[in-house]
Amino acid sequence: MSRNVDFNKFLVFDGAMGTMLQACGMKAGELSERYNIEKPEVIEKIHRAYIDAGADVITTNTFGANRYKLNDTGLNLNDVITRAVEVATKAAKDKLVALDVGPLGQLMEPYGSLSFEEAYEAFKEQVLAGALAGADIIIIETMSDIYEAKAAILAARENSNLPIICTMTFQEDGRTLTGTDPLTMVNILQNLGIAALGINCSLGPKEMMPLVHEVLKYSRIPVIVQPNAGLPKMAGSETIFEITPEMFAAYGRQMAEAGVRILGGCCGTTPEHIRELKNALIGLKPVKTHIERITAASSSTCTVTLGGEVKIIGERINPTGKKKLKEALMKDDMDYILREAVDQKDNGAHILDVNVGIPEMDEETVMVRAIKEIQGIVNLPLQIDSVKPKVIEAGVRVCNGRPIINSVNGEDKVMETIFPIVKKYGCLVVALTLDDGGIPKTAEERLKIAEKIIKRAGEYGIPKEDIIVDCLVLTASAQQKEVKETIRAVRLVKEKLGVMTTLGVSNVSFGLPARSLLNRTFLAAALSAGLDAPIMNPMDADMRDTVRAFNVLWNHDKDSKEYINAYADSKAKPENNDNKTNKDLKKIIIDGLKEEVKETVREFLKEFKALEIVDNYLIPALDIVGEKYEKGEIFLPQLILSAETVKNAFEVIKEDIMKNSSHDRAINKGNIVIATVKGDIHDIGKNIAKILLENYGFQVYDLGKDVPTEKIVGKVKEVKAPLVGLSALMTTTVQSMEETIKALKLHCPDCVVMAGGAVLNENYANMIGADFYVKDARDSVKVAEMVINGVKKN
Amino acid sequence: MNIDRKEVLRYLGYKNQSIDEVMEKLIDEAMIEIKEIMRRNYVYNIYDIENQSEKVILKNTNIIFQSKSLGEHLHNSDRCALMAATLGIEVDKRIQYYSRINLTKAIVMDACATAAIEALCDKVQENMREMAQREGYNITSRYSPGYGDLSITNQKVIIEVLRAYTRIGLSVNNNYVMIPRKSVTALIGFQRGEENIVKCKCSRCEEKNCMYRKCGVANESEC
Repeated sequence: MSRNVDFNKFLVFDGAMGTMLQACGMKAGELSERYNIEKPEVIEKIHRAYIDAGADVITTNTFGANRYKLNDTGLNLNDVITRAVEVATKAAKDKLVALDVGPLGQLMEPYGSLSFEEAYEAFKEQVLAGALAGADIIIIETMSDIYEAKAAILAARENSNLPIICTMTFQEDGRTLTGTDPLTMVNILQNLGIAALGINCSLGPKEMMPLVHEVLKYSRIPVIVQPNAGLPKMAGSETIFEITPEMFAAYGRQMAEAGVRILGGCCGTTPEHIRELKNALIGLKPVKTHIERITAASSSTCTVTLGGEVKIIGERINPTGKKKLKEALMKDDMDYILREAVDQKDNGAHILDVNVGIPEMDEETVMVRAIKEIQGIVNLPLQIDSVKPKVIEAGVRVCNGRPIINSVNGEDKVMETIFPIVKKYGCLVVALTLDDGGIPKTAEERLKIAEKIIKRAGEYGIPKEDIIVDCLVLTASAQQKEVKETIRAVRLVKEKLGVMTTLGVSNVSFGLPARSLLNRTFLAAALSAGLDAPIMNPMDADMRDTVRAFNVLWNHDKDSKEYINAYADSKAKPENNDNKTNKDLKKIIIDGLKEEVKETVREFLKEFKALEIVDNYLIPALDIVGEKYEKGEIFLPQLILSAETVKNAFEVIKEDIMKNSSHDRAINKGNIVIATVKGDIHDIGKNIAKILLENYGFQVYDLGKDVPTEKIVGKVKEVKAPLVGLSALMTTTVQSMEETIKALKLHCPDCVVMAGGAVLNENYANMIGADFYVKDARDSVKVAEMVINGVKKN
Repeated sequence: MNIDRKEVLRYLGYKNQSIDEVMEKLIDEAMIEIKEIMRRNYVYNIYDIENQSEKVILKNTNIIFQSKSLGEHLHNSDRCALMAATLGIEVDKRIQYYSRINLTKAIVMDACATAAIEALCDKVQENMREMAQREGYNITSRYSPGYGDLSITNQKVIIEVLRAYTRIGLSVNNNYVMIPRKSVTALIGFQRGEENIVKCKCSRCEEKNCMYRKCGVANESEC
């Protein structure tokens, strides 16, 4: 049975386990967790030494006790953890035992192979075993990846009632190895319902000091620090740490005086360090810190704080009224959505709203997929936008960072479903000033609803700085009288409640001509009334200009730096007006002028039919480029540049076909599924094949990298693909390729498989059952034409 | 540390084709960008070894490398360093980013990063040589899991014993793929005798038709 932990007092944790084990004769390459089973007396001795030194909490010897690290060791995870907690409990007597949960040692998606859900499952089994064995605290420590930390925290919260402490480890440049800064860490972790957060490992106390101050500035929950005994140094073949117990304790005292509540040691620290540390705290009372309360959303590497400079929430990832986005969602075309994300970021968006609600699709699945894809490419915080609470919860759960939920309103039922999600996942939330009675006419009534929402949120433990009020924009064409009530409401809400505000600005102009003019005028009025974060189209130059100008006039853009940056040479740029027709389209492709090509194709479309352009210009040019590549006249990046140019040309042509034909007559020679196989994350070769195949008119379903067999088989069946392209770069992942081919031959016997990748050759590919070996992307086009045009393999 | 433009071009399969201004600029930009975003990090440790020709044993550890070719590589060595180096995950992120919006740049960035990680390893090796020479040793060239009969599974062994994940963020997945991608693990021998200089590291590779191969089989003196 676990005991209560008082986080209002100082708590002293133990020091290093690894360092002590090495001193006890553990060899390099030995697994320390094995000691729990084979030499528990050594572990107990170390724990005891720390207890004798005065530690209030000792940490179990389970840092690496997870399914990934124990794999192939012959050790049973449950036994390792249970024994570890038992040994610690025995040594601890009346002191506390913290279950140690370290990183899984695998990088997470989308860069690594470990999915969020897999990480959660791995942590869950550690937590269940540790809690059952009687740990008092769960300490999730030495995290480099905040996404992994989030998975661990959720696993701990959902599978135990123990208080959770979470520490991350920073490099000398002030970021974790995956790029998280201290403010971002605090903003994400402190809202996930944990008892304490902080910093450990990697650095000595001296190097940690500035980071500790940064954490203390924002953390509303107790802060823990566990430094190394200085930076590790090599002395011959030994690693040594140079901070003496006395120095260590002096730094510890300084940290405690600055407001740190929980102290302990990491690598290189010994019971002597802990003894001195404990002594140094004698006579000191826990120090209350002054905390900056901010309204901030985070991605894993970037935090956007509202207030002051205007922050733009990009609205474009929303299928309402957007035919192309709808179609992309239906086709599972994430590239389109990613381009929207990238374009908005490049045009100044600070936060991206994500709404993928279309009736034809399972919104939850699409939301999770879209979030994972977007956060893999763009490092902006996200605003999860749906009318379905289930979709919101699924979205904020897998979101890597601290998202905003869009939205809650004054209806009791909505508040009852949304606030628990806001609280559990530590999100911000947009509060719409409407309720069962609809949108009130007057500003005063909207203020009242805002007040009600904030009060109710408080009952769930959600502070008002986590609420962003949206006073709702009405359209001037329908409710002209109420338009200015919104502006008044923003001013009132700002004055009376002191919360952050948002507005979906472009609603105002709906149904009227020259919308941009109304939008920017309304935006300027709203900004001066106290609008902090307009939800808008960042690509709308008028509105963007208004925001930039406002930031200068309201003294947010200091010395007009950004403004000058944006406009100083706006006149110097000559307008490119030399619209020569009869440009040589083939030459443009061969030269790889991928921006110019669009305009040229548009010109050509005035004279020629779309398919004529494809047959007489694009394909012949591609053939020339391909031949040049094969002859060695051009090299790889030149080939790809031409392929990208053709891709852009095709986009213009597809738009034209979509506009001009009554039926959906797309250029599609046939469906091809491509993927980098399970376990492999190298996808550049596959991406090159993809673009070339698309260039030649094939519909390519790209499943990405590290793709499980089932998913490939499923897609092939779904789109009835006659051809599959598989890629693997390593000898170890060619095995996955072989398994995938076997499954394909079993479930889709008519499907032809082509295989490529660095370690493959003709013989090897045949040996694993591939129908064709393709040595490069050009080769895959040849195979595709042969297979799809019905030429069977002999 | 500089990225060698010639190496970048070699990784891109360059064979003296003419390069126009646009491509020149793209390559220059990519080199600058990789330099800006990479977070070079490395760890190493040095061990006494016992070389039993079929296997190499690190003394006072329970690490054994079963490999005849490694045994040959280290045949004059009585110590060896294990090293792990990486450019960090931001490089993966950025290449991934460009592969969605600008594939040409992604490919060029990838080549720059490959050149950069090789350069980092060369630098680490240079440091090691100086250190070794102070103690009267010479060093061998780098030998990585996957060379000869040294199984690629040893990547995991090296990463674990150096605690490379927590120290430099280098992990290996179940299929022994290292992540971040631009990473290297290797062994370097410390020996008393003359350095056994391998003229070109491509010369010991079986893949004679590799597009990256530096030395022609017919004319080894080129490299």
